[in-house]
Amino acid sequence: MNDDVMHHIGLRPGDVGRYVLLPGDPGRCERIASRFDDPRFVVRNREYETWTGTLSGVPVAVTSTGIGCPSTAIAVEELQMCGADTFIRVGTAGGMQPGMQTGELAIVTAAIRDEGTTSHYLPMGFPAIADVDVVLALREAARRTGALAREGVSQSKDSFYGEIDPGRMPVRERLEERWQSFIQGGAICSEMEAAAIFIIASIQRTRAGGIMACVGNPDMTEAEATASMAGFDLDQVIDTAVEGLRVLIERDGAR
Amino acid sequence: MDRATATQHHIALGRGDVGRYVLLPGDPGRVEVIARHFDDPRFVASNREYVTWTGTLDGVPVACTSTGIGCPSTAIAVEELAAIGADTFIRVGTSGAIQPDVATGDLAIVTGAIRDEGTSLHYLPPEFPAVADIDVTVALRAGAAKAGYPYRLGISQSKDSFYGQHAPDRSPMGPELHRRWAAWTAGGAICSEMEAAALYIVASTLRVRAGGLMLMFANLAGREQTPEDLANGDIERAVEATIAGLRILIATDQAAAAAPR
Repeated sequence: MNDDVMHHIGLRPGDVGRYVLLPGDPGRCERIASRFDDPRFVVRNREYETWTGTLSGVPVAVTSTGIGCPSTAIAVEELQMCGADTFIRVGTAGGMQPGMQTGELAIVTAAIRDEGTTSHYLPMGFPAIADVDVVLALREAARRTGALAREGVSQSKDSFYGEIDPGRMPVRERLEERWQSFIQGGAICSEMEAAAIFIIASIQRTRAGGIMACVGNPDMTEAEATASMAGFDLDQVIDTAVEGLRVLIERDGAR
Repeated sequence: MDRATATQHHIALGRGDVGRYVLLPGDPGRVEVIARHFDDPRFVASNREYVTWTGTLDGVPVACTSTGIGCPSTAIAVEELAAIGADTFIRVGTSGAIQPDVATGDLAIVTGAIRDEGTSLHYLPPEFPAVADIDVTVALRAGAAKAGYPYRLGISQSKDSFYGQHAPDRSPMGPELHRRWAAWTAGGAICSEMEAAALYIVASTLRVRAGGLMLMFANLAGREQTPEDLANGDIERAVEATIAGLRILIATDQAAAAAPR
């Protein structure tokens, strides 16, 4: 057993370059990596699966985080120790603004710290925000892929079923009241990892952003949201996230 | 009474007095100084700490309204300005540098704010990020580059207590103030001021755009102020960069409005 192998993600320094895509689901890594040149499986341990490849000749990687901020924080910490400094979360989210369509992309500019992990890093009140240049790259990527996209704040929560089915939670009134306040505050989507990525990136002085394919909107019933997923697939958000990396690589190289 | 047509309770302005773009310094004494950079600067109103001048930039109406010190009076200014039609706010002012490698006179373009204050909790839970509008931030970055001054993008600490930062040991909460300051430093915050969090949170709830550009005074921990610090600590360079940024934003907005959909 080599000492420099990271405890959870199973990678060594040098296994990945600067640029890493972060889906939640390990089952999506191969599909994302298929957009890279020379995709190669590297390692799998627990919920962490990593593939690498190149874009425009530059090394890139995809590592799954598992669901939630606790496992995501570990992935970001260990990837940085391996040499990564630019992270883009790619995945799915619930749409939070009225009128949003299933399949619309959310480019996340900042995250609501509605989770327990980031309080182990910085006091509440410190904003979880994305890097401006990563946001601009994802904006340009959406223009190139022709995706319907909007920019805004994401709710990063710890409880999936607290969002989907708050009525059966003992703290339902608190959940429902906060959900409404986040919508009124302008939050565009709800997912479970962005806050940890952004807060840890602030501390590391690394760059982070995120792009999510949204499902439903707050005015849809659960049945309507499910029905709206007919024909929904992840190709567009994956293509846009990969294009975002390509834009960043171009712009970083031009600097 | 219709809030949108009435003279606003505190800022003493009504609809038509300002356009969409408003600069927000803290100090009422700086409003005229800033407005002198506009074409056709004109005094409009003064009430309490709220002084307003208007003018134009590249033919477009712009305004400058002081907020007074702190988030409580700033929230009122933003609410009332939005009620009469403003939708783009840029805080311009001074701040203390948090990171040790900042020289006095370097500019901070504030991408987000630490909600170390009481006002924004009356709007949204503390987990909600106080974040600047990306297009305003990008325009201010271009403005700072055009003005030719050193700048950096980052997070500001918006605090409610000036002396809690400058003389924490005088406060019974001193140890906690020191610990939190160390956390903001480690988190990468770049400057400390007293208004951005309320501006950004209120702007989020009102669906209007906000950003901020602040001149930084060096973090003097362990050293004396140098003649360079004194020479560079003039808000004029922040005003120049902000005006340049606002011109760029106006041009960008006009181009977007003219683009085919």
